[in-house]
Amino acid sequence: MSCDPERITAYVDGALDAAVCPDLEAHLAACPECRAQAEEERALRARLRVMPSPEPSPELEARVRRSLRARPRPASWLLPVAAGLVALLVWGRGASPFVAWELSRDHDHCFGNRRLPAQVWSSDPARVAEWFESHGTTVPLIPESAADLELVGARYCFLGDRTAAHLYYTSGEHHLSLYVVPGPVRDPSPRERRPRGNFVRLMRMGGTTVGLVSEKEENVEAFARALSTTVAWKMAVDRPAP
Amino acid sequence: MTREQRFEAEALPHLKALYGTAYRMTHNAHDAEDLVQETFLRAFRAFDRYASGTNIRAWLHTILYRVRTDAFRRAGRSPRTVELEGDGPPVPTPQDALAAGGEDLARALDGLPEAFRTAVVLRDVQDLTYEEIAGVLGVPIGTVMSRIHRGRALMRAALGGRKP
Repeated sequence: MSCDPERITAYVDGALDAAVCPDLEAHLAACPECRAQAEEERALRARLRVMPSPEPSPELEARVRRSLRARPRPASWLLPVAAGLVALLVWGRGASPFVAWELSRDHDHCFGNRRLPAQVWSSDPARVAEWFESHGTTVPLIPESAADLELVGARYCFLGDRTAAHLYYTSGEHHLSLYVVPGPVRDPSPRERRPRGNFVRLMRMGGTTVGLVSEKEENVEAFARALSTTVAWKMAVDRPAP
Repeated sequence: MTREQRFEAEALPHLKALYGTAYRMTHNAHDAEDLVQETFLRAFRAFDRYASGTNIRAWLHTILYRVRTDAFRRAGRSPRTVELEGDGPPVPTPQDALAAGGEDLARALDGLPEAFRTAVVLRDVQDLTYEEIAGVLGVPIGTVMSRIHRGRALMRAALGGRKP
């Protein structure tokens, strides 16, 4: 028989019909090229089999268990009760403490990755805003940097009941997340909240809510100031001179 | 034993294996965890259709692959599945420095086109048979053989400089 590299692969995997094995083994004995392929594939397989597997976060199993329990099959009489609960939940999720908690959780989740899971990489606010615009989200005027933290990229993140634009700022050591949260957020007064140990501030800007999350209070403060300044400056520039 | 307890006892021990495959598919922990969570939810709903005694890891991988392809199909509409537009700076951690030395194998695997990578992971990491992989991917066995062959050839080339 002539060389057939795909068959060698199947032979290494023990997936070849027993009837053709003797022919192939005879070929292997005579063909150094195919023999080398078989040996290299076996060695590669052995290495892949013992390659360390990436570890999920310790929270994942609990998350999966919770999600299984959250979806029991409802009895028919339960449906109106369930509908009421869902309405209450939707109402509750719009409350600012809940939104702040979700933002803080997502901030830890994204920056907990070895590599930021950004969908767009840029330090240019205009470029990032343009990317979001092309996906249907209008981002208010955002700063390029503040308090040593610089814009590096962004992505859409799922917050349990809505998808928010998430912009990443980092100085390497410290991180800050700027979120543009769609939909209603009740009472987004600019008071400081500390869910999960992060500092979170929600600010109403035009028709949307902007959320700031960081491990350091000064960073949140600096960005809140930068955001107000940028907006005030833009309004001054846009307004025609009297 | 309730249905839920049975599912947890049989399926949940494979969570780490599923996460391993999901991570190799998505290249990041955030998306991999979402993918695994959605897979277990769908598997739980379909658990009545699982034939007891067959390879549950292969069955779970079939659902994982379907969730992944569904996400791709929605890609045009859903912003969450937009592909990366470039390779940006990593978040620096001490583990980076430690891992940098022995990661050539993982890098070679991650560098494969997704179709080849998935086939190689299912065969060489998850140890599924060609028949099971054909079932997971919904392709003929000949295609499985060809993808594993191409994937391994590219990896050998990346690791040792041999031509694929």
